[in-house]
Order: sequence, then structure tokens, then C-alpha cells
Amino acid sequence: MSQTQGAKAHASQAEIFCRDESRVDWHSKALWVLREKRDRAAGSLPEWEQLRDLGSAIKLHTLTNLAKYLEEFEANCIQNGIQVHWAKDGAEHNRIVHEILASHQVKKLVKSKSMLTEECHLNPFLESKGIEVIDTDLGERIIQLKKQPPSHIVVPAIHLKKEEVGELFHEKLGTEAGASDPTYLTRAARAHLREQFLSADAAMTGVNMAIADKGAVVVCTNEGNADMGCNLPKLQLHSMGIDKLVPSVESASVYLRTLARNATGQPVTTYSSFYRGPQTGGEMHVIIVDNGRTEMLKDKILAESLKCIRCGGCLNTCPVYRRSGGYSYNYTIPGPIGIAVGAQDDDTNSIAWACTLCGSCSYVCPTKVPLDKIIFRQRRIKAESGQLPYGKGSYMPLVGKFMASTTMLNCSMSMARLGLRILPGSLLKPFSGAWGKYRELPKAPASSFEAWFKKNRS
Amino acid sequence: MKIALFIPCLVNQMLPDVAIATLELLEKLGHQVILPEGQTCCGQPMTNSGCFNEARNTTLKLLNAFKGVECDAIVCPAASCLVAAKENFHEFDNSPEAAAVIAKLYELTEFLHDIAPVESFPKPFPHKVSLQLSCHGIRMLDLASPSEYMGPRYNKMEALLERIPGIEITYPDRRDECCGFGGTFAVDEGAVSAKMGKDKAQAHAATGADYAVGFDPSCLMHLDGMIRRQNLPIETRHLAQILNAAI
Repeated sequence: MSQTQGAKAHASQAEIFCRDESRVDWHSKALWVLREKRDRAAGSLPEWEQLRDLGSAIKLHTLTNLAKYLEEFEANCIQNGIQVHWAKDGAEHNRIVHEILASHQVKKLVKSKSMLTEECHLNPFLESKGIEVIDTDLGERIIQLKKQPPSHIVVPAIHLKKEEVGELFHEKLGTEAGASDPTYLTRAARAHLREQFLSADAAMTGVNMAIADKGAVVVCTNEGNADMGCNLPKLQLHSMGIDKLVPSVESASVYLRTLARNATGQPVTTYSSFYRGPQTGGEMHVIIVDNGRTEMLKDKILAESLKCIRCGGCLNTCPVYRRSGGYSYNYTIPGPIGIAVGAQDDDTNSIAWACTLCGSCSYVCPTKVPLDKIIFRQRRIKAESGQLPYGKGSYMPLVGKFMASTTMLNCSMSMARLGLRILPGSLLKPFSGAWGKYRELPKAPASSFEAWFKKNRS
Repeated sequence: MKIALFIPCLVNQMLPDVAIATLELLEKLGHQVILPEGQTCCGQPMTNSGCFNEARNTTLKLLNAFKGVECDAIVCPAASCLVAAKENFHEFDNSPEAAAVIAKLYELTEFLHDIAPVESFPKPFPHKVSLQLSCHGIRMLDLASPSEYMGPRYNKMEALLERIPGIEITYPDRRDECCGFGGTFAVDEGAVSAKMGKDKAQAHAATGADYAVGFDPSCLMHLDGMIRRQNLPIETRHLAQILNAAI
């Protein structure tokens, strides 16, 4: 689902983001630092490329045999005393979650790291039903207090500077005015979150991996907030997309080795917790969500986007994401993977084109999701259903005709070369559009190579 | 060898010096070079926009220019266009004649490195060059190992250039980050494209090199526009121009 109705095209949002150049430089650098850390962490493992091959192969195998593994997972969960629910879309997921919470008279829910619940817009739904939802990951809590969606899937508040967080905490948590020391602010957030953990009636987390042969879910965090949540109240819920499944603990260990390295350059997340049953006297629920994933599986190319383990590495390397920010994409997930899974839900018809097809993301990806090929494919699907951005629908047929006609191409290009050579720049610039707005126009040669060749070689 | 030149439309119309350098270089290396008539756009601006129907005629016209042409190799001094031509020929024509053309397509760097290797260049080129590792050349055509990749390192452009006496080779910071050209991206997403280009142009200039040298003319044209807009003390050159000057 697209983020907002009446959203602007990516290029317009990006143009606004780019007006503050020093902020763009800061944003781009903050994320590039993560890419550099990733390079060092990945480069320290001689078997890194082997892990990527393995990561890709295990996911492809699991997706190919998804029905079998889903049933195996469900059966083993039930045996472990876990209650399993199936949701075909976001609305059904939200309804199930609400029913579980309502039947336990839950007033406050502590939640940790789940892009799926963002995708389903769970928070506003539960809040409309009178349930307070507290995001407990520090970055997520910051943006929740600021009433903003995540701008990145792993570091959701990366768009905010520490001074801005200090201002927000001063207003919401009563920290000292003007304080922006990260340690001070983190301590304040920790004290605030402790109160929330202790007073919560239920806890909910996302899932990094669901292990079929064990009936267990794996949750990776750096702050221990998922564990603090799940181990305090008696009721715990875990939401997962059908794409989170892996066959075994051995296969999960491949992703535990690549996930954190590719995300932040850490060898492993601080906490990698395996949940395989409820607390004594408690309840554990797993909600398995489709929400369009089965549809993606039908397309051989798009299907590979379901190999993603949400490390965010593709966002950190993406030269366009780093210079346009998470909010320029009209989808919950920004960057390359956001385009790959969200392009068809984008009513601005623009995110599929917010990419130079440089391919860096595909090489960074720890499961070898061919992101550039998927984005290329998304454009074709969009174009073939008449959903083109930026006037492409009207200019592309003309360009096609123009390029296929030697006479038209040669005549107009020799006119263009002549114009560029004899007319002053001030006269040309207004007609040169986005090219001349940002760059000098090319220095035009006297003739084409073809004409030169005829004159000099035949 | 008998070589048919594939000169993409942008090079033919706007950057003939790159094509002339390619021709002269190949001739000096002892190859017989021809220019098949009727070449046009490979269709990349359309297919990269998702518009396959609009790409069909121009792609097939380009393909027809090479069908039945007697030659050992078809060589192109533009990596991105070469990749697109390969993919689009295959997309729109499955005939054995098309396959024969596709099998002979080479980008200039890979031709000089892999197919008809040049072991050394006689004339010195006493300048510092900052290499522009354009995306499609390295990530789709394997001209160099991308920085994301942790397997064995290789770089065909560097390997060729270091055979020139007196040359000093360097790289910009974030060595293979995209320059922001991206075809129609440059106009559709003007602000981001320009910021990427500005960053890349500054990174090249910061190396203190005399020239930013690459194998993709379209990226170089975009970079040249950014360099001149900011009055940076560096110029762009195509690999063919440097190699041609050294022989």
C-alpha cells in the first residue's frame, strides 16, 4: 500500500530534499559509512561470496517448496504450544492481532522491529481501537514520538540529527533543553522505555527467520528490546511474512552470519533470540502474512525479491536513496528493495524510475536479490499497463520513431550541433531543460562520425 | 582481424572524437576496420524506461546494420550501449543471424584486453589519470571487479593503461559509485542526477589528476558538463583517446 494519498512523484520529493545540499552530504555520508563498515566486515570473511551463494540458494529452495515448509513450520509450532494464524493481507493481519489483544484486555502493547507491521499499518489501526502501541527500538521510538514513518528499514531515524532528537526528547521526555549528547539522550530513552516494558500487557515483534523443522522464530536486535518485551508480559505475538521461512537452524545460521555484517558491519547482532514456545502460563502467537507475496512469486523475476532478509545494505549503497532520503519514495520501504516490492503499489508511478540501474545493490545483497533486474522488470510491467511517469508516455513513442529514422535523426542532430556551436549559451539554456539547468551543454562537434568516416576513409 | 565498428548514436552525433580515436587505435594495431551503414540507437533509453514496444524498431534497425556483415568482431567504444544492444537484440530477434551478431559483440576494453591483447604501448603519457569505473561496464560486462564484490580483484581498464610508460593511475573516493547519468534519469530526476554528478566530478578533481578517463562516453559527457559548470581543473577523456595517443 502506498504511504499517502496524493503523494508527489519521487523526482519532486527528491528535488526538495536536494535543496539543502549540506544536509544531503551529511545524509549521504552517514549511510556511506555503513557501506564502508559492511565492506570491511564482508571482506574479513574469505568465504563471503560463498555465503551469498548459499544464502541465495537456500532462499530459492525454500520459496520453491514454500507450501511444504509452511505446513512443516505450522505443525512444529503447534507441537511447541504456539498458536499459528494465517492472514492473506494487511487488513486480516491487523484484525487477527486485535482479536488476540482484545481477548486479553490488552491496553498497552510494546512492539519491536517489524517492517511488516509498518507495511500493514498496524499502529494506527490498534490506536483507533484504543490500544496504546509503544515502539521500543530506539530509532523507532524516536520517529514514533515525532509521528513520522521510518525513513530506513534498519536505522529508521537516520534522517534526524542528534540535535533534532535532543529537541524532541526535551519536548516529549523532559530532557534538558539544548542537550544533544547521544549517551545522555540514550539513557533518558532507556529510563522511559523501562517504564513501558514494565507496564505493558503484551509484546509483539517481527521475525527475521522462521525455522520450519524446529517451529521456532528468530528475532535479531541490538538493543535487547524484543527480549525485554517478550520476557515480561505473558502474551507474545510475532508477525512474519511467508518469505521469512528457512528449512533448519543450519540454514538460519547462514543469514545470522551475513545479516548484521551487511547491515552495519557488526559480526552478528547483539541479540539473536530463538523463540520456540510460550512462557510458563503464557501464550505465544505467530501470525503468517501473505499480503501480495504469493502474487510476486508468480513472476520469475519479481519472485527473487522474496529472498530479501531486510538487512538494508541496498539502501546504504544506493546513490539515489542517499541523496533523496527515505521519504521521497511513495512506499513504506524506501530504496532499491522498496522499489522492488512496492513499485506496483505506487500510485505516483515514479519510484520504479528512481534508480540509475547502476547495480551496486545487487552486488551488495547478501542473498543476491537481482534488484536492478527486478526494478527494470517493474518498469516494463508499469509501462505495459500504461502507468508511466514524467510524460514518458507521450515522449517515448516519439523518441522511438526518431531513433528509428535515419533522416530525422541526422537532420535534427546536425541542426542541434549547429545550434550548440553558433548560438550563445544564454539563448540555449532555457530550451535545454533539466540537462542545462544543472550542467554545461556539450561542446558540439562540426560533424557526425559517419560524415567524417565517409570523407576520410572511403 | 577484420573489425566492424559499432558506433552508438550519441558517440556518432555528439562525440565523434571518441569514434575517430577508436578507429585510429584499431588501425594502428593492424586491424582492418569497417563502418557498417545504417547504425542507430540500441534502444536503451526506451527499454530502460520500460517502453519495449517503442524500442523495437530502432533496435532491429541497428541489428540489421550488422547482419551478414563479414567480420571477426564487432567493437563498440561504449560499455552501456554495448550491453543494451546485446540484451535488446536477443529480446527482439531470436534468429541464428541475430545470435551470430550477438556472439561477435565486444566492448573496446574487453576486446583489447581479452580478444586481441595489446602487450605494450610505445609512447609515454606522462599524466595522472583518475579512472571512471562506469556501472554497466563493471557490473554487467565484468570490465572490473565491483567494490561490493569480495571475490578476486581485476580491472581490465587499469591493466591496459598501466602498459603505457609514464602514466600515473589513481581513483576517486567511492571509486565505483554511479556518476548519476543513467540515461533518461539525467533529465527525469535532474536534481539527484546533478548531485551525483557534482560529487563524482569533485571526487575526480580532488585526486589532482589531469584527466578523468573512462570507457563510457555517456557518463563522460555528463561528467564533462558537471566539471565545466563548476570550473574544476580536470578534463574527461575516453580510454580510446589515451591509448591512441600512446601508440
